[in-house]
Amino acid sequence: MNIQFLSTTRLACAALLFLLLAGVSAQAADKTLKLEAQLILCSNDAPTNGRPVAPEIEKKLKHLPLKWQHYSVVSAQTITVAKDESKPLVLGKSEMTLKNLGGERVEVTLVGHGKITQSLRKSQMLVTNSNDDACLIVVRQLD
Amino acid sequence: MNQEQQLKLQAFLDGELPEREAREILSWTQRDSAAAALVAELRNTRQAMAKAEPHLSLPESREFFWSKIEREIQRREPATASAPDVSIYAALRRWLLPAVAVGALVIAGMIARFNVPNATVETVADADTPTVETTLANSDATTYRDASEGTTLVWFSAAADASPVPNKKPTAIN
Repeated sequence: MNIQFLSTTRLACAALLFLLLAGVSAQAADKTLKLEAQLILCSNDAPTNGRPVAPEIEKKLKHLPLKWQHYSVVSAQTITVAKDESKPLVLGKSEMTLKNLGGERVEVTLVGHGKITQSLRKSQMLVTNSNDDACLIVVRQLD
Repeated sequence: MNQEQQLKLQAFLDGELPEREAREILSWTQRDSAAAALVAELRNTRQAMAKAEPHLSLPESREFFWSKIEREIQRREPATASAPDVSIYAALRRWLLPAVAVGALVIAGMIARFNVPNATVETVADADTPTVETTLANSDATTYRDASEGTTLVWFSAAADASPVPNKKPTAIN
C-alpha cells in the first residue's frame, strides 16, 4: 500500500512539474525580446578612440576566425520586439530588420545582403558583416 | 544510627549473621532502645507482608494453562492478517491520485499541442542551427558556429568579393 501510494504520488508530482514546465515554455515562446545591435570597428592596432566592447563580447569575437585583434563599439541600439513583430534598424551604413519569431528565435534581414534566422538566447550572439569598412554587426539578447 | 548499623539489624532479623555477631547485636538491642524499636518495626513489617501475600493456585497444571494461551495466540494471528483495516480515505486515495496524474498529463499535452508555437517544438540543436538566405544571386554566405561560446558568424560576400574576413580559414563551417 505504501509503495503504491509513493509511486502514484511521484506520478502526480511529475505530471504537475511537466505542466509547470509546459506553461513556462509557452510563456517563453511568446515573450517580448529586448535586443541589442552593435556596430563594432575591428582593427589590429589598439583603438585610440571609441568605447571598447564588453568583455563577454570580446571573448566571443576572439573565438571566431577573424583576422582582427581589437574591437571597439562605434554605435549601439537597443530595441524591444514583441512576438511576430519586425523593427527596422540603421547602424552606420547598414540597414536591417529584426523580427521576433517567438521561442527566442529572431530573423535578421540585412538589406542588400540576405536573411538570417537563428535562435538567440541570452547566452548566444549573432555576428555578421556591415557595409562599413572593417566593421561587424553584433546582435544579442539583453536581460 | 547509621545505614550500616541498620543493615546489621536487618541481617540479624533475617538470621544471616554468624553466632558471635548475632549475640553482639542482641545485647546492643537490649541496651539501645532505638535499635530495639527498629528491630520490632522490621519484624512487624515482615509479618504483615507474609500475611498479606495472596496465594494463587491454578485449577489445572502449569503446562496445560500455558498451552491454552499459546493456542489462543495462534488462533488470533491469521484473523488479524487476513482482514486489514482499510479506511475510506485510503481507498479513495488509491484511485484519486492516479486519476489526478492522468488528468494533469492530458492537460499538459493539450497545452503543448495548442499553445506552444511550432517553432518552439523544434529541438534545441535544430533551433541553434542558423538558416541563411542571400538576397543577390551572385552573393554567397559563409556560416561559422562556435557552439562552446554560443556564437554564430554569418559573412555575406559577393562572388567577386575578396573576403575581408578571415585571414585563417574557418575550421568548422556548418
